[in-house]
Amino acid sequence: MKRIIGWLKNLFSSSKRHESLFGKMIYMLASTREEELNCAQVYALLEQFSEAVLRHEPLTDLMMSIEQHLNVCPDCREEYETLLAMMKAA
Amino acid sequence: MMNRDNAAWVNDLKDVGPNREAALDDLDAELKPALRRGISRWLSTSHPEFDDLVKDVGQETLMRVLKQLDTFEGKGQFTNWVYKIAVRLALNELRRRKWRNVSLDYLQENSEEGGASFQFPAADPLPETNMQRRQAMAELQRAINEELTSRQRAVMLAVIIQGVPMEEVARKLGSNRNAVYKMLHDARRRLKTRLEEAGLSPSELLAMFE
Repeated sequence: MKRIIGWLKNLFSSSKRHESLFGKMIYMLASTREEELNCAQVYALLEQFSEAVLRHEPLTDLMMSIEQHLNVCPDCREEYETLLAMMKAA
Repeated sequence: MMNRDNAAWVNDLKDVGPNREAALDDLDAELKPALRRGISRWLSTSHPEFDDLVKDVGQETLMRVLKQLDTFEGKGQFTNWVYKIAVRLALNELRRRKWRNVSLDYLQENSEEGGASFQFPAADPLPETNMQRRQAMAELQRAINEELTSRQRAVMLAVIIQGVPMEEVARKLGSNRNAVYKMLHDARRRLKTRLEEAGLSPSELLAMFE
C-alpha cells in the first residue's frame, strides 16, 4: 500500500512539474516581442525603472519595454528584485 | 552622516582629500545594510560565507563606483546606482559559486546531449478537457526539435529548464550575457511563430492557465 501511495505521489508531482515547465515556456513565448531590449540596455535603466515602480508612476513605453524584458529574462529579474529589496527600506 | 544629493556625491567622491574619504565612509555605511538585505534573499545570514561576501562585494563595489563615476548620468538616485553595481557583483559571485561544480558539458558544440532531441518530461495523460494544451505541447516539442539549432536547444534547456543563469551559460561558452540573451530571443521568436502558424497562439494558451 505504501508503495502504491509513493507511486501515486511521484506521478502527481511529475505531472505538476511537467505542467509548470510547459506553462513557463508558454508564458515566455506569449511575452516574446519582435523587438526587445537586451540585458545591457535594461541594466543601464534598472535603477530608474525601480524608482518609478516604487513611486507607483505610470510606466512610459521605455519602462514597459524593461518590464517586458524582466518577464523573459531570469537573470535580470533576479537582479531587479534584489535591487528593489535593497531600495525599499532605504 | 552628511545628506548629499547626486551632485554632492559625485563632487565629494571626485575630490582629493578628506571630502572623498568622508564620502566613501558614508557610502559604505549606506551600502552595507542594504547589501545585507539584498544578499539575504539568496544566502542565509547565518551562512558561514555571508559576512565575507558582504564585505568583499562592498569593497569591490566602492572601487568600481570610483572607476565608473563619469558614467553616472544622474537619472536616478546616486545610491541606487551604487546598489545596482553591488547587485550585479553579488549575484554573479553567488551564481558562480552555485554552478561552478555542475557539469554543463551539453552546452559544448558537438556534444551528444546538445544534439539530442528535446522532450517534455514523461507525463501521465492529461484530462480530455486539456486537448488543446496537449496538442500545443506536442507542437512545441516538435518545434523545439525542428526549428532550433542544437546550440539554441542546449542553451534553452540550460536556462529555462535547468535554471542555469545566463551569466553562467555565457561563462561556459566563452561568450557574454547579451549574446546568450539574443540566442534565446531568436529561439523564442521562432517557437512563437511556429505555434502561431499551427493556429496555437501562446497568448490564448496562456489564458487557459489563468
